[in-house]
Amino acid sequence: MASILTLRLSPSSYQRLIQPNLTGLRRAELGFDSCRLNLRNDQRKAKKFVIRLALSGDSDKQDKSIQDIVFVNTRNTLVKFRESVCSRPHIFVTKRTSTSYVAVGICVVTMFLVIVMRVYKSRISRPSRPGSVADLVRRGQLRSDRRGISSTLKYEDPFNNPMVKISMTNSTVEMCGKVYRLAPVTLTREQQNVHIKRRSRAYQWKRPTIFLKEGDAVPSDVDPDTIRWIPANHPFATTVSDIDEDMAQTNVYQKHGVPFRIKAEHEALQKKLESLQNDQKFSKLTIDAGNAKNFERPFRTQLKPDDQVEEKLSNGPSRHTQSDCTRNSLGSNTNTDDIQHT
Amino acid sequence: MISLLTHSNPLSYLPHSSPTPSISPFFTHTKTLKPSKLKSLKINSILQYNRKPELAGDTPRVVVITSGKGGVGKTTTTANIGLSLARLGFSVVAIDADVGLRNLDLLLGLESRVNYTVVEVLNGDCRLDQALVRDKRFSNFELLCISKPRSKLPMGFGGKALVWLVDALKDREEGCPDFILIDCPAGIDAGFITAITPANEAVLVTTPDITALRDADRVIGLLECDGIRDIKMMVNRVRTDMIKGEDMMSVLDVQEMLGLALLGVIPEDSEVIRSTNRGFPLVLNKPPTLAGLAFEQAAWRLVEQDSMKAVMVEEEPKKRGFFSFFGG
Ligand SMILES: Nc1ncnc2c1ncn2[C@@H]1O[C@H](COP(=O)(O)OP(=O)(O)OP(=O)(O)O)[C@@H](O)[C@H]1O
Ligand SMILES: [Mg+2]
Repeated sequence: MASILTLRLSPSSYQRLIQPNLTGLRRAELGFDSCRLNLRNDQRKAKKFVIRLALSGDSDKQDKSIQDIVFVNTRNTLVKFRESVCSRPHIFVTKRTSTSYVAVGICVVTMFLVIVMRVYKSRISRPSRPGSVADLVRRGQLRSDRRGISSTLKYEDPFNNPMVKISMTNSTVEMCGKVYRLAPVTLTREQQNVHIKRRSRAYQWKRPTIFLKEGDAVPSDVDPDTIRWIPANHPFATTVSDIDEDMAQTNVYQKHGVPFRIKAEHEALQKKLESLQNDQKFSKLTIDAGNAKNFERPFRTQLKPDDQVEEKLSNGPSRHTQSDCTRNSLGSNTNTDDIQHT
Repeated sequence: MISLLTHSNPLSYLPHSSPTPSISPFFTHTKTLKPSKLKSLKINSILQYNRKPELAGDTPRVVVITSGKGGVGKTTTTANIGLSLARLGFSVVAIDADVGLRNLDLLLGLESRVNYTVVEVLNGDCRLDQALVRDKRFSNFELLCISKPRSKLPMGFGGKALVWLVDALKDREEGCPDFILIDCPAGIDAGFITAITPANEAVLVTTPDITALRDADRVIGLLECDGIRDIKMMVNRVRTDMIKGEDMMSVLDVQEMLGLALLGVIPEDSEVIRSTNRGFPLVLNKPPTLAGLAFEQAAWRLVEQDSMKAVMVEEEPKKRGFFSFFGG
């Protein structure tokens, strides 16, 4: 019933209703130009279909609808029909593309948003101390890509450097495209000596050999001219030397192997462990930072004289664990950040 | 102040050519692979890349680069001269003796590779060769820092330590370095004393202004008292345009006030700042810059123990050609 009602509205509405059923699919496949080819078959099909529809209806408006259908079959409407059929898929296709445009647009926008989010997230999670080189690079004040890795000027490259040219008369020089006037240097040896004499009169100085803090007593065998007095609150200099000079010197001259101090510490540790093993108990003990830390207490009670070395032993691993902890916590921080952002 | 005009006559320069055998490489060594072509040119080239400078003096040449006043360009000079020496094939160890405020590593772009310093060597935490940071661009250039920014070095000990260091570098397996350049901190405090202790020659960096000159004179006096007689000066940040307007002392004025031989004159150049931030010394720049060329020439003179025989004073007014009328 409903179909008949709509059929009655107008010939064009009838076309509109029927057309997609019959040819929509094929047209979509073949395109606009193929509609003519299909039309002949379609005409017959359409006729049959409409007639069947009309017969199935039983209301008093049957006659009118049949008239309509007959009217459809006239030449004039056929032309119209053909035209509209040809134009139909046009509407159909444009409708479909507009929806796909929207879909693509949404995809692009979401992708863009995802990229922005990820960049922002990485920005936030990146650890950077303010003022560090990495930080300056991030803020664009330094160029990381250029730090120390540019291609170098080849030694042989400018065979005769074209940037520096001197004129034949030696009165001008052309550097980097600019011409400069040259003036000869007139300083003579005598003039230099005059200056040296003047300075030797003006400045009497002996290189300080000893540094004393204000309030220190002057050693008897020291020339008072070579004493340098240092304010007590000097920011980075200390006058007290906790470095054993002889050992420092041997350290500087050492060319092979493990540095002296590390070796000494290592040997002391080895000795201590051996003595412990001889004592009893810790027969399986090896030199391992973690183990050593665990056995810190027995060490302390048993061995008094080598306290210092032992301190270092216990300090070493604990410092490590501390730094590990901070690293872990940093890592976990970034992880939680990630989770929060996603 | 002598007037520039007294020197400006080119004829007065020509007969002046000094009788000493070591004349600037610019003017004596015109021996190139293309001599015939050069002769035909009106202007010939100054820097000759096919010739390497000949090393004068005993190795290692321990050179301290000092100034008295801060911020005049000691570190810039050390980095640039050091790398151009390395590029010329000499082995160089640059020591950053600026204990409190070191920045030579930054200028060289090596800051991330400084793990150990002299303080660690003295403490026995590492060997000397582990503290030397080898440059990736030139393997014959090495950097050595005295200390990390926050570590304390006992005063009066640094000088001794540096003497040992130089001594230890002398009998290394790979041989004694040709040059040991020491970047001196500003002032005449303990850091200065430390830096000059092992040196036997000095490069004094100054700018052509009265404050830097007074400090420079004082420092020269101290160096001479300490027995360092071979002092050459380097005038940095010279602006030829200001000299012309008599707003700035000329290099010759500076020389007259200090009475030192000139190692180099470095013009004010914005490329210096750029190269500082890039961690890539100017002398490696391609194409060469004005300041980079000047540093390179200074390095050349340092090797040959030479000094400048002529200086640029001002920009020649552009000759207006016929076509300049049409907007040239
Ligand atoms: N010829 C130049 N032209 C322009 N800028 C320059 C020049 N020479 C040095 N500078 C700038 O001057 C500043 C100080 O230079 P540098 O660090 O070399 O001085 P310094 O004497 O080592 O300082 P300090 O006394 O602190 O050690 C730097 O920023 C550098 O870029
Ligand atoms: Mg400096």
